[in-house]
Amino acid sequence: CGPDTDLSPGALDGYSAEEIYQRGEYELERNQPDDAALYFGEIERLYPYSDWAKRGLIMQAFAYHRDRDYENSRAAAQRYVDFYPADEDAAYAQYLLALSYYDQIDDVGRDQGLTFQALQALRVVIEQYPDTDYAQSATLKFDLAFDHLAAKEMEIGRYYLRRGHYAAAVNRFRTVVEDFQTTSHTPEALHRLVESYLSLGLTDEASTAGAILGFNYRSTEWYEDSYALLTGQGLRAEVSGDNWLASIYRQVVRGEWI
Amino acid sequence: CTTRYRNHGYTPSDAQLAQIAVGVDTRESVAEAVGTPTSAGVLNGSGYYYVSSRFRLYGALEPQEVEREVLAITFDPAGRVENIERFGLEDGAVVPLSRRVTSDNVRDTTLIRQLVGAVGNYDAGALLGEP
Amino acid sequence: QSFRFDTVQVTGNQRIEPATILSYAGITRGEAVSAGALNDAAQQLRQTGLFESVDVVPQGNTLTIDVTEWPTINRISFEGNSRIDDEELAEVTGSIERRVYSPEQAEIDTAAIVQAYAERGRIDTVVMPSIIRRADNRVDLVFDIAEGGVTEIERISFVGNRSFGERRLRAVLATRQAGLLRQIIQSDTLVEDRLTFDRQLLVDFYNSRGFPDARVDSVDASLTRERDAYLITFNVTEGPRYRIGNVSVVSDYAGVDPNTFAGAAQLRGGRYYSPSNIDDDIARMERLAIREGVDFLRVDPEITRNPRDLTLDVTYHLRRGERVFVERIDIEGNNTTLDRVIRNQFRTVEGDPFNPRAIRESAERVRALGYFGDASVNTQPGSQPDTVVIDVDVEEAPTGSLSFGANFSSDDGVALVAGLQERNFLGRGQTLGFDISTSRSNRIFSFDFAEPNFLGRDLRAGFSLDYRSTKSDEDRSRLYDTDTFRISPSFAFPVSENGRLSLYVATEYNNITDVDDDASQVIKNEAEDAGEWTQSIGYTYTFDTRRTGINPTSGVLLRFGQEFGIGDRQFVQTSALASAERRVLGEEVTLRATVEGAHLYYNEGSSRVTDRYFLGSRIMRGFQSGGIGPRDADTDDALGGNTYAVARLESEFPLGLPEQYQISGGAFLDYGSVWDVGETYDADVLYNDYTPRAVVGVSLFWTTPLGPLRFNFTEALMSEDKDETRGFDLTIQSQF
Repeated sequence: CGPDTDLSPGALDGYSAEEIYQRGEYELERNQPDDAALYFGEIERLYPYSDWAKRGLIMQAFAYHRDRDYENSRAAAQRYVDFYPADEDAAYAQYLLALSYYDQIDDVGRDQGLTFQALQALRVVIEQYPDTDYAQSATLKFDLAFDHLAAKEMEIGRYYLRRGHYAAAVNRFRTVVEDFQTTSHTPEALHRLVESYLSLGLTDEASTAGAILGFNYRSTEWYEDSYALLTGQGLRAEVSGDNWLASIYRQVVRGEWI
Repeated sequence: CTTRYRNHGYTPSDAQLAQIAVGVDTRESVAEAVGTPTSAGVLNGSGYYYVSSRFRLYGALEPQEVEREVLAITFDPAGRVENIERFGLEDGAVVPLSRRVTSDNVRDTTLIRQLVGAVGNYDAGALLGEP
Repeated sequence: QSFRFDTVQVTGNQRIEPATILSYAGITRGEAVSAGALNDAAQQLRQTGLFESVDVVPQGNTLTIDVTEWPTINRISFEGNSRIDDEELAEVTGSIERRVYSPEQAEIDTAAIVQAYAERGRIDTVVMPSIIRRADNRVDLVFDIAEGGVTEIERISFVGNRSFGERRLRAVLATRQAGLLRQIIQSDTLVEDRLTFDRQLLVDFYNSRGFPDARVDSVDASLTRERDAYLITFNVTEGPRYRIGNVSVVSDYAGVDPNTFAGAAQLRGGRYYSPSNIDDDIARMERLAIREGVDFLRVDPEITRNPRDLTLDVTYHLRRGERVFVERIDIEGNNTTLDRVIRNQFRTVEGDPFNPRAIRESAERVRALGYFGDASVNTQPGSQPDTVVIDVDVEEAPTGSLSFGANFSSDDGVALVAGLQERNFLGRGQTLGFDISTSRSNRIFSFDFAEPNFLGRDLRAGFSLDYRSTKSDEDRSRLYDTDTFRISPSFAFPVSENGRLSLYVATEYNNITDVDDDASQVIKNEAEDAGEWTQSIGYTYTFDTRRTGINPTSGVLLRFGQEFGIGDRQFVQTSALASAERRVLGEEVTLRATVEGAHLYYNEGSSRVTDRYFLGSRIMRGFQSGGIGPRDADTDDALGGNTYAVARLESEFPLGLPEQYQISGGAFLDYGSVWDVGETYDADVLYNDYTPRAVVGVSLFWTTPLGPLRFNFTEALMSEDKDETRGFDLTIQSQF
């Protein structure tokens, strides 16, 4: 980071809080978020609980976030929410806190634990600061994170369905239908339930699932597949079989293996 | 090569089933007597299903389900046991699974990202020129 | 009575804003407030820990909240500490820079620092916290530390030990007498909790040698007059020594036949009683239960004493444990590895009966994947009283290496290398690797790929392509060039619980070119029609019980394979390996005996130097590559042999160094040879018949961030005068 960022202890004692704050903003423009975060941190140390320290703290959280240093950004945002709960920037701090989990989902697509924490933090933003514009974008992100969790349940349901463990598959798909109705996975979950129940020979449960699918999602391809299965005509060509060479290519090279 | 078997799931034995009285027992008393059901129906008023199956594994072949027992305990609207039915493997249909998948719009680890992740870390095999 | 205030005043706050204080107090202007609410407000403010004192004083319709703030800590520093550095002390103390200073926390930190020093045996260390006032109500917190001297242990003695001598018992304890290496070994200092740990060690020692009632009555530590050393005495009561009487298995579980489980109980009458043998038996029975598909099995050992003949009868009761099901298996922390790759290692499916040992076995398989730094599997209560949720928490570790540059190999010097090795390609569990390496004497290009769950089955489909060319080089008496190119797809699948079969086909081209004119006559003849393609098919059967076997501490590996040449070069290449290993002495020392051999038989055509065996350091240590085996008498060319057989006796043991160095030792003896060059073209070939060589050596294992390295120091006991021995060898610690 830049030659003149002298951050040895005590180097900034002489500067006023405002000067250090401006220096931090200058670093942000120079696209050095990690230095900026250190400057904002110094304000808090030299002039604790002053007004500049308060603004420095929120800027520190923002700078760490820009630097994709999610742990520090989360710590700074959490400190802000603890010390200045009534402040108008508290909503933004809570939002930054939620973003620190949410933005990691893109990197760590598969990890379910993180998605859960993101959901909880986003819910706090939506419930405690409902009328801020952070709440709107938090709601949008909440739905996306919620969809990730549903996708994870579906992925595991298909794993068990593919291996013939129909009861385990039914439980996973039922979780999606019961706890994740608002997500985009519900129609597929209902169709998978039809497939699983038919495989177990529980035809009335299968038709119940098919009826719910027909009632709520009549226009989807999933309903067409279920209808075909339930009326015993078998699946349309394109969706069911293909020659074994294509299936090897699909599974080994593309990694899809349903 | 030898054939191996694997059991999955659980269905109560006839002795345990004898404890359940049709028209008397409720969902709680059934779960108490023979255990939590392996699976249940879609609507919350639906029945309890206990599924146990036996898979045969032979060499490179896919595990094959050779035995399956499905025990369905259905309840009347008042929540009392209405009927206990047993289904076997032959009652199940062989269902072609649809290969369509709802996208989970999560970026998979791309080849490049994994390569970049691997740059710089040395594994001793490369370093020591294992023949 | 209740008040109504229209103005609320905050006084005494220096830096914390009135709005923040009000929001903590939870009082808003103009709202009716009872006396109780006022008290709660004061209480909440105190709980924030930010204020030295809080007073809430109602005066008519104005409420004044008078606070005095604690100063904040500007900087924390430790003075006078040399044995423990600042970072370690900072971890122990709770006060944090930029946070509020509180005297109680300073006291807690002082006690923590004293404890840290006591743990290192410096029990009379004195620590004084002090504050330096700074401007703007900030303070610097300083811990002045006066480190005391070390109190060592001069003598450890025992009272009441009839069956074992003092020296034997002293070896059992963690505390050591101050010996010569007192500066290096830390464990000769007196520490209270280490003594209690010693008592447990002593009791375990006695228990596992037939003394179920042994106990340590008291441990008294007396100080020498000069107060610089301790004398410790353990008072022990051994109690009677029991042997095992008769062992039986009884089944109280309807439908479970005790005889199938009797075989798993290897405890025999006559041996001294030891609880660990009984635990091993139970472990074997639980593993057998998984194989037999018996659910909810619980094994309760019942021990009856016969004081007359000092024997214990052990009866294993097979009982039906309580009915618990697996509700869900949740996998977290996998940010590159796909869920199915981990879930595949679980044989338990959601909804199955819960069997703790099966889950432990699955956790072992997840760890064996080698993709994770840490993989912890534990159970949480489920939504129903009789269900559990299995929580799998993995921590991804780098599984790939992309390397450019050079590597050193003791066989052929420095090589320029470029290569990608990825063990978990795209998180699918696939392995992908390609390597280009050029060194002084050989060039290698190799590519390999494997999909472990081909078509979703337990079927490993692999493909490998390998090109290798060696140049002639004078100092190693190889006066010709060789080129080998091999393509081989393979399929491997399980054939039994511990057995796997791998089938493969291979096409191979090898050639011997520009043979120097004073090379061996054999090689000249072989080079004439050398450039040729050969096709072959083969199989390898592996039987491995080391991890999946019934017996937890020992295992066997058998491998037998044959490759059949078809077409114009018909050969049969048979290779076999048998290895047994056992962990002894509290599972710390591993003993392993291995016999390995191979035979190449040609009925159409004859073997060439590129086909024959040259015993690299992987098979027999202590010799250069091609250092032993049939050799041309006058040109000194190593010709390789059609047959080799080697026996290896190895042991691995800890060196007693602290854990974090990850260094352990080993000793080995290799005995065997390679012989029979086949067609000799009437050249004079030395050592063409079985002439055994023997090598003894010690090795050092060091797990480094680069990988598990193995340093071998060897001495040839039996070798021929023209062999090329080698005293030192550096390789990767391979798990075959």
